Amino acid sequence: MGRVVGIDLGTTNSLVAYVDAKTGQPKCIPGPYGSTLCPSVVSLDQDGSVIVGEAARRRLLTQPERSIYSVKRLMGRGPADVQDELKLFPFRIDPKSKNVIRVMLGDKMFTPPEISAFILRELRNWAELYLGETVDRAVITVPAYFNDAQRQATKDAGRIAGLEVLRLVNEPTAATLAYGLHEKQRGHVAVYDLGGGTFDISILKLISTSEGDIYQVLSTNGDTHLGGDDIDNLLQAFVRERILESEQLDLSPHAELAQDLRKSLIAAKHELSEKDSVTLRFPLPGRRIFTHEFSRTELESLIGPVVSRTMAPVKQALADARLAPSQIEEVVLVGGTTRTPLICRTVQGYFGRKPHTELNPDEVVALGAAVQANILERGVSNMLLLDVTPLSLGIETYGGAVSKIIPRNSTIPASAQEQYTTGVDNQTGIDIHVLQGERELAKDCRSLARFTLKVPPVPAGLPRIEVAFLIDANGILQVAARDMRTGEQHSIEVQPSYGINDTEIERMLEESIEYAEQDFAERQLIEARTESGAILAATAKAFANPQSAEIPREERSNIEAFVAALKEASAGSDYKLIRKRIDELNRATEHLAELLMNSAVSTALEGRKLAEV
Amino acid sequence: MDGLEQKFLQLSWKLHPDNFVNMTEREKEMSLQRSSRLNDAYRILRDPVARVEYLLELEGMRKEGEHKQQAPPELLEEAFELNESLDELREAKSAGANLDVLAGRLRAAEKNFGEKLHEVDDELKMAAQQWDAALDADASEADREAVLQRLNELLNRRSYIRNLVAGVEKELAE
Repeated sequence: MGRVVGIDLGTTNSLVAYVDAKTGQPKCIPGPYGSTLCPSVVSLDQDGSVIVGEAARRRLLTQPERSIYSVKRLMGRGPADVQDELKLFPFRIDPKSKNVIRVMLGDKMFTPPEISAFILRELRNWAELYLGETVDRAVITVPAYFNDAQRQATKDAGRIAGLEVLRLVNEPTAATLAYGLHEKQRGHVAVYDLGGGTFDISILKLISTSEGDIYQVLSTNGDTHLGGDDIDNLLQAFVRERILESEQLDLSPHAELAQDLRKSLIAAKHELSEKDSVTLRFPLPGRRIFTHEFSRTELESLIGPVVSRTMAPVKQALADARLAPSQIEEVVLVGGTTRTPLICRTVQGYFGRKPHTELNPDEVVALGAAVQANILERGVSNMLLLDVTPLSLGIETYGGAVSKIIPRNSTIPASAQEQYTTGVDNQTGIDIHVLQGERELAKDCRSLARFTLKVPPVPAGLPRIEVAFLIDANGILQVAARDMRTGEQHSIEVQPSYGINDTEIERMLEESIEYAEQDFAERQLIEARTESGAILAATAKAFANPQSAEIPREERSNIEAFVAALKEASAGSDYKLIRKRIDELNRATEHLAELLMNSAVSTALEGRKLAEV
Repeated sequence: MDGLEQKFLQLSWKLHPDNFVNMTEREKEMSLQRSSRLNDAYRILRDPVARVEYLLELEGMRKEGEHKQQAPPELLEEAFELNESLDELREAKSAGANLDVLAGRLRAAEKNFGEKLHEVDDELKMAAQQWDAALDADASEADREAVLQRLNELLNRRSYIRNLVAGVEKELAE
């Protein structure tokens, strides 16, 4: 059997990590670009091959209709659920989608689990290349507040990627594991996890026993559609309005420009975590430049509402754990969005204690997933995780009301047994509707499954069937039924309301193998060569421009030397070398690129690469 | 750490599915079933109210989902007044009238019933101790039956007050 890795399948970035056998410490695995962050972006090339990560992220600008980001927002959701997302995200959803959403990349359609599976496959390749071993099993993290359908969709993605998912672990819980290994913690811990698209708050109790350390989750709460993306959308809306006012330009029909603006705004947002103000210069068609001076105060007043939205779940989680803020001994910040100073201040103010930020908030979840993967691989451990189900499980009763059978924050696995009988003579079926959520009416809760218990046609009240509802350690529902008179097990075909069935998963697995047919290294080589072709063409074009005569002869021959080196590397098959040469040529041509730009535009395009001009 | 929690954690080390990932399907299934029962048991036993409900179910005094909703006689008058105030508040709301006085009265009533809830909880705790004592002393069936009756009555009273308080909370929150 191959290695087990831990994977953080994030909204914005995904990571893969493993535990080093020698040091016993978890470590994130870098990809071909040297970064441990794999942008959660998937793009379908014209030749039918799938591109994932940094290369796909670059294609967001050039081929938005063949590329997708933030697909995690669509996991386990039906077409009716995502109408709000469609206003803010450029998802191209097949209008004929029924229960399961289908997203279009070019002219092909994929379900969200299939797209996530491409990301998982990419990370698996990173790990296999790095470790030199087969990787066939994984622990994958999910937001603690993910419901059953979202968890099931994540597990499906693992299966489609050809990975056995040993466990789905909640992201804040994973982060606590990583911190626990880093530095022994004690007592009550609050984990505030604000990522690209999801928010979780978990309250844990760390207990030392003679067998080892127990990480017991007391309560969890959150919002699976709240994160850095929302901040980006607010900034985007704000700036678009300013552009409309001052330049009379509506960006709505310009998909590429909008993507470009999004990218610039994210950069500005990151800069504002360090600086007090930053100037946004954004080039518009017709050699116009839109400028806006962003102060941190302005940013904070814009994102204040997003930060406030996280506080209600925090209070609810504490109330459910029956604790006051002052009883929390440690606070941990997780997720890239918590780098925003306003968030750190808000959390610190509420708990009255400085939060932990020692571990990289982008990596800490993947590191924790690797720790759990290692525990499961070895089968014995001195660490035990006791997690909870975030939402109450209920069944629909007479009149559309919901009867709760497993309350939220129950330690999982958890179960409940219900007995059913018939109301009229010769009734042949009993309909059961399973829901998740805290509301009193079925229509306000999340529908998980509907099924019919088949019963023999006998007088009313005679059948006695016990249905066992069980939430497993992944937070996923299982249902079994038993005839109490005969002891016979009923088989139940539970059709998940928003899920994909087993046959479809098998088909998707086969298809995904077809897409992945190209060897990873081969694909990296193709991508590197494509990029090399682009920059070589751009350099040649630049030299053809009369203005290029202005650069010193020395510089020109220097560039020519790098061009020759890149050509030579591209003829070979070492994609890492090609990338290195591309970077070198990019650096060497920075000055040339600047020169060729109109002086007004040049300030806006500072630091750009020749190929992008 | 109390005895119940200690026992729960000990058994969790033994039964949790994480320890059975590399075992046979049958062993995995058994771990899943048993650890879920363990968690169910702990969830019920650590909650004083759920614990008494479970005891009464075991003893056949109470069926799942069956709750008596008649007002306990000694609460009738106050409950009647409370419901009247609630009606007035709803009317005032739909008429767009000033709600301050009514809301104040309801808040006082909410506090009053909140205190009663605490009283019932204390009585429930005492009755539960009486049950333990009756078992330890190997008391007669009639004596035990009396304690169970008392527990059942307290639970009904509790759920009645709880519903009243929840109703007021809901109205005031809107």
